[in-house]
Amino acid sequence: MADAPVDTSIVDRLVEFGTALREHGLPVGTDDVLAFCSAVAELTPSDSEDVYWSGRATLVHRRDHIPVYDEVFRRFFLHVPASAERKKVKDMKVPQGSTGTINIPDAEPGDRQSDERPMVLGLEASSLEIERSKRFSACSEAELAAVRRMINKIRLEPPKRRTRRYCTDPSGSTLDIRQMARRAMNLNDAAPELLRMDRKRKQRPLVLLLDISGSMADHSRNLLQFAYSMKRAAQKVEVFCFGTRLTRITPLLDRRSPDAAMRLASERVVDWDGGTRIGDSVEAFVKDWGRRGLSRGATVIICSDGLDRGSPATLAESMEKLERLSHRIIWMNPLQELQAGVPPTLAMAVAGPHIDEIASGNNLESLEAFAGRLPQIG
Amino acid sequence: MSQAPESVADLQEQLRGVDYLADRGLATATLIALRLGRPLLLEGEVGVGKTELAKCLATLTGRELIRLQCYEGIDTHQALYEWDYARQMLHVRALSEHELTDASTMSGLYSEEFLLERPLLQALRAGSNAVLLIDEIDRADDEFEAFLLELLSDFQITIPEVGTVAAEGRPIVVLTSNRTRELHDALKRRCLYHWIGYPTVDEEVGIVSVRAPEVAGTLAQKVVDAVHRLRDLDLAKPPGVAETLDWVQALGAIGAEDLSGATAADTLGSVIKDRDDLELVSSDIGRVVDG
Repeated sequence: MADAPVDTSIVDRLVEFGTALREHGLPVGTDDVLAFCSAVAELTPSDSEDVYWSGRATLVHRRDHIPVYDEVFRRFFLHVPASAERKKVKDMKVPQGSTGTINIPDAEPGDRQSDERPMVLGLEASSLEIERSKRFSACSEAELAAVRRMINKIRLEPPKRRTRRYCTDPSGSTLDIRQMARRAMNLNDAAPELLRMDRKRKQRPLVLLLDISGSMADHSRNLLQFAYSMKRAAQKVEVFCFGTRLTRITPLLDRRSPDAAMRLASERVVDWDGGTRIGDSVEAFVKDWGRRGLSRGATVIICSDGLDRGSPATLAESMEKLERLSHRIIWMNPLQELQAGVPPTLAMAVAGPHIDEIASGNNLESLEAFAGRLPQIG
Repeated sequence: MSQAPESVADLQEQLRGVDYLADRGLATATLIALRLGRPLLLEGEVGVGKTELAKCLATLTGRELIRLQCYEGIDTHQALYEWDYARQMLHVRALSEHELTDASTMSGLYSEEFLLERPLLQALRAGSNAVLLIDEIDRADDEFEAFLLELLSDFQITIPEVGTVAAEGRPIVVLTSNRTRELHDALKRRCLYHWIGYPTVDEEVGIVSVRAPEVAGTLAQKVVDAVHRLRDLDLAKPPGVAETLDWVQALGAIGAEDLSGATAADTLGSVIKDRDDLELVSSDIGRVVDG
């Protein structure tokens, strides 16, 4: 390559294009740009279509980046001005009268500047010894913050399943012929010892579907905290929020601080405090994620009070599909205890046959109890 | 074996020769992957010809196709190599009976003779004589992906008892994913990426005429139109190109010469594979067939 006459102006242009993509949020590394340049060099003499396709193969690594790539390419090489249409579509998606941001109380009450109450450190701290059985809805701001800190400490162990892999286990059900052969070689003629092994156990994935609509607003923030600690405790956790529609928030929970994660989550979930359409949301989950295998062999936890504004038929149908696509379904209903003796809501009645277990999770005690019971559910 | 393709159009032409119709994007990505010696990662809906491309590349280049089907829990013993323990043990017994167990005969225990090659090692050994297809990589565990990283960047692997095995020439590597989960960016960066979408009506008619030449053009056109209408419906499992071909062949098998409501209903099982979808389509079969 060194002795080939290199037209630096073209290379400059290609590198500039890489930079432009980077500015639009695509993770374009220097090695990607190098690959792009060599790809274009391979295709000389090239037309703009060659440049387009070599860029797509070398600079784009995910399907959702393709529209951004297209846009930047159009502007950069074809000099088409940024299309106003795309922006319009995006704007229209936000339903009227709802905004994308909401205030989430910080885990530490002192974090917020607007907190006007003077802090009396010693006294305040001791008064935060809240009852473990106090309902979340009856807690004050400061108590809630304390609750969230405690939720963060709940240890979680998802149910396990047997895998195909084996590991040494003295009480195992299968003979470990491979190890025995190795031993036998070393021991020469000594009678071989029986070595056993058994299937390894692996944590089942957890899928959380959190209702964050108006009727659940009190609980959803605590549940998000719960989801966050789950995400940190278990290996495979997927978290979705729903109200009138469904949003996946798993990547947001990778953030270190739960507060920051929740702020981001709330920005994404624009229908915070809107109406609830459980059936449609479960249907959306089944269609976009469940079918592809996300919930296969997983424990699915739905957190909702079952006050559904959607059609019961959709809910019944989608729950039936979800049941077939997952291992266990647990419904956490914070109103569960209040409703004892009262006929269940229509949604709960319809979903009932497909649910393996109902939990309450409306106070710290029940969340802890639930976390303790989780390993046995699988 | 045909000549190395000179241009994108040339590669398209060569692929057509082995009954694979690639659009410009796919052909460009493939050509770059071949020229730069980089793995090609193909994603796309089910049944759009991801695996088929690897097979056709093998036919086209006259290379051996080595396929590694991924699944949950796949590990190096199934993917790379394993020692043949039973034979090793027999060998030791035989040697000890003749009192030949000195250092040199013992070291022979870990020689090629007792090494069982699995697909990845086979591909390394075959080097430029192989097309390595790593199929449905999204089904394997994360750890396996990390292991592949090493292999795909250096095309060499270390076996403790034998030493480092390096590929003499680079095999053509094709990875496919159905996107049941997102792959690690690190793996994606090693590869060239191409998303295979559904073909247009004309492209698909072309594919049918190449893959099932016995089918009349009018029938092919009608089936493809119907499949495209099916894809527009809100189905759980929209039919891929593979299903179009199945459907055409199913129609041929029952001797149907035209796609009517009745023949479509009889053969619907070859194109729709989900009960809910079947109900939805059956209730509206007339519109699917005639538009």
